[in-house]
Amino acid sequence: IFQKMKILVGVKRVVDYAVRVRVANNTIDLSNIKMSLNPFCEIAVEQAVRMKESKMASEVIAVNIGPAKGGTETLRTALAMGCDRGIHITTEQRTDFLEVQPRTVSQIFKSLVDEEEPSLVLLGKQGIDSDCGQVGPMLAGLLNWPQVTFAASLEQGDDGDSTLKLDRETDSGTEQLQVQLPSVVTCDLRLNEPRYATLPNIMKAKKKKVDVRDISTFGDAGVDLEPHLQVLEITEPPSRQAGIVVQDVDELVSKLKDEAKVI
Amino acid sequence: QRTNISIMHPLVRDLYKRVIWVGKDYPQGLDYVRDKWKKALRNPHNCPSCYNQHNGSVVPIVVDDDASYKIPTDCERELRKAVGKGRHMVREMEGIIQLKKYRTMNKRYGKKKR
Repeated sequence: IFQKMKILVGVKRVVDYAVRVRVANNTIDLSNIKMSLNPFCEIAVEQAVRMKESKMASEVIAVNIGPAKGGTETLRTALAMGCDRGIHITTEQRTDFLEVQPRTVSQIFKSLVDEEEPSLVLLGKQGIDSDCGQVGPMLAGLLNWPQVTFAASLEQGDDGDSTLKLDRETDSGTEQLQVQLPSVVTCDLRLNEPRYATLPNIMKAKKKKVDVRDISTFGDAGVDLEPHLQVLEITEPPSRQAGIVVQDVDELVSKLKDEAKVI
Repeated sequence: QRTNISIMHPLVRDLYKRVIWVGKDYPQGLDYVRDKWKKALRNPHNCPSCYNQHNGSVVPIVVDDDASYKIPTDCERELRKAVGKGRHMVREMEGIIQLKKYRTMNKRYGKKKR
């Protein structure tokens, strides 16, 4: 089953990790801001490409939901890293939780899985803009497939070709799991170090096939495109207060007792 | 009169495009990368035989007008070596970008010590 294994990878276009976002009018202003591939999605793409290079998979398909221009750039980065082809679902809605929400994304991915029939869906653990981490589990629920979230290592399983052995990293420790394919896996930071998409690879990726569809085609087929969660308020975190210099230990103790109330 | 430094070698142009692509993600910013690289690319010490030593100063080699593109073989060899060093530098820059990204992501999303 591994020889013909198809992998579907989710690729999200987010605000670049190094950008300092500014909150204005109860929303985040996205105009003229640097956007890039979600780092967790990069890790998922890298894992899929490595599986293809080690002959565990035969085809890697990258999927992006995003605007007409920006989405193709993101897909091209994924294709430059080594994916075979891309599916670009165009939408002018915001993809950072405010308009296109995880429920919609999972439903779209479900219809793509029904169409492409991959054995494995690799997603990033969470998007660094929305920090939801919901699409992986929701998609597994919709498909009725087993899921492994926060995967920190991935290998072929012991029980034959159609199993995977994974390490799952949680706050309380690491679990070792074996999962039967088909399955949904979300990738954590320690899974691998993604390669950089160099300019020559980007140029080569321009020749790879990208299937462009409008999100309304999914809407017509029954996917719920409307957001059901409304964001009431967005505020910046409180700015750090300046520190105080104390004269001696007595002053420090009295300040801790009276002002900070920690003693 | 055309000189060999008034025409940009295609390999050098390709190198500069790679630099700009990597520079957009570089931590210190594209402007910093552009300044440093333009200075380095214009430095005659990187390719000494492309210039004639003429009374102690460097003078570029004059190229025939009817030749579409022609430079002496020593210069070509040195230029390719310099482009090779430049490409190695670009790979180092990619490494710095990846390292910074990993460290930041690890700080934000890494395992919190209890």
